Amino acid sequence: MHHAYIDKFAYQDSAIHRLDSRVKFIVVLVFTAVVISLPRTTPSILACYAIGPFAVLVWAKIPLRFVFKQILLVSPFVLVLALSCPLYDKTPVRVGFGPFLWAGSTGWMRCFTILGKFVVTMLALIGLVSTTRFNDLLAGLQRLGLPRLLTIQLGFLYRYIFVLIDRAHHILRARAGRRLRNLGFKTELRTAGSMLGSLFIRSIDTAEHISIAMQARGFDGSWHTLSKLQIRRQDVLFVLIAATFMLGLYLFVRPFLQ
Amino acid sequence: MSKAIEIENFSYKYPDGTPALSDITLSVEHGQKLVLIGPNGAGKSTLLLVMAGFTKGNGKVLIDGLEVNRKNLKKIRTRLGSCMENPDDQLFMPTLFDDVAFGPLNMGLAPEEVKIHVAEALQTVGLSGMADKAPHHLSAGQKRGAAIATILAMRPKIITLDEPDGSLDPRNRNNLIKLLAGLSQTLVIATCNMNFAAALADRAVLLDKGRIIADGDAKKIMSDSKLMTEHGLEMASKK
Repeated sequence: MHHAYIDKFAYQDSAIHRLDSRVKFIVVLVFTAVVISLPRTTPSILACYAIGPFAVLVWAKIPLRFVFKQILLVSPFVLVLALSCPLYDKTPVRVGFGPFLWAGSTGWMRCFTILGKFVVTMLALIGLVSTTRFNDLLAGLQRLGLPRLLTIQLGFLYRYIFVLIDRAHHILRARAGRRLRNLGFKTELRTAGSMLGSLFIRSIDTAEHISIAMQARGFDGSWHTLSKLQIRRQDVLFVLIAATFMLGLYLFVRPFLQ
Repeated sequence: MSKAIEIENFSYKYPDGTPALSDITLSVEHGQKLVLIGPNGAGKSTLLLVMAGFTKGNGKVLIDGLEVNRKNLKKIRTRLGSCMENPDDQLFMPTLFDDVAFGPLNMGLAPEEVKIHVAEALQTVGLSGMADKAPHHLSAGQKRGAAIATILAMRPKIITLDEPDGSLDPRNRNNLIKLLAGLSQTLVIATCNMNFAAALADRAVLLDKGRIIADGDAKKIMSDSKLMTEHGLEMASKK
């Protein structure tokens, strides 16, 4: 079965793709922190911050349709949070963007700020995972000090989540093939429990097989890798551009927009 | 000179007391291509696990002259490579390169040597140029080849394969037969597919209910229709 892998565009080639994963991760982390720390009274400034990740996505030739589809997929959780803001905060406020002025409420402003921050940070995050292979990202995180055990767990999770999804699909299909009438809530619940149990037992089985396969190839608990990560001139240049962009916005653009 | 595999009077019971292997005595010469045939539940996979030191029972097991025990396990696993039935269990690393390099790195080889081992193993299975691919992006045939490459990269003297032809289409099965036939290592292959077994092996061991029923020339055993039918198997079709 084919799955929509989160790093499906990470196998392309561009200047952004070739950057060191650690550099990309740190830049995205700092960018996200900066965007999150922006005051909630300035939703309009977020449009300026979106330019950075948007430019990266275009440069790396990541289809924008894919990007917005990914954002839509995770948006329901944030939408619920954002849309609840106008309900409990109706204090009137005037919103400005350059020469334009609107009348609104603090609740709506907070709503737009949450949505804006969500979209901008998601653009940056998708930019990171769409230009960095998952294993390179893990290797980078490990070099940045993330515990090795955690990176191994994440690697296994990414490797086997699709196998698990396939198995779940097979079980669901097998049930659908024999479920010829409505069985009622209780029976459906019992069936779902059995299906989950079967999935769980098969996962344990797989884990045992993997453990045997690892030991058969000499695994003794310590993890050995051939790390290919290297900071080059273009990585330094990328950091400088990103820093200039963020500082530029912070020092010059923000006062004009307020 | 020591034999590739020597098993003497080996018996093993599952934790619930069900006998899995009973009084197994088997000797495999270096360079021999042996198939373990038998119906489902005959004990073929268990016997392969015994050879790799994953299952302990009563009896003596020697791999390339080394007794299978905790002390010799590391050496044994560099001499005997086990290929699992499901390639998804064998390929657990994020990229094909990492997967194939996993064994050589655990053997303590230098990085440059590891790269040479990986390149050669991938070339042998016809997957050169796919080193950076994620295992879940490979087809079933490619996954099978990749699983074998993970073993070949360790350059073992003996390779055990559990149902390697499972879920392969005829073209991929033929490619696998060509690949395995070209290997110089001692091969022990567990399979239920008699055509696959006949195309590869010079010796067959028929297992049923944990016992060795027949041991000898592969073609002779697999052409004995009474013996094959009695043990839930079929004869290999003549080409």
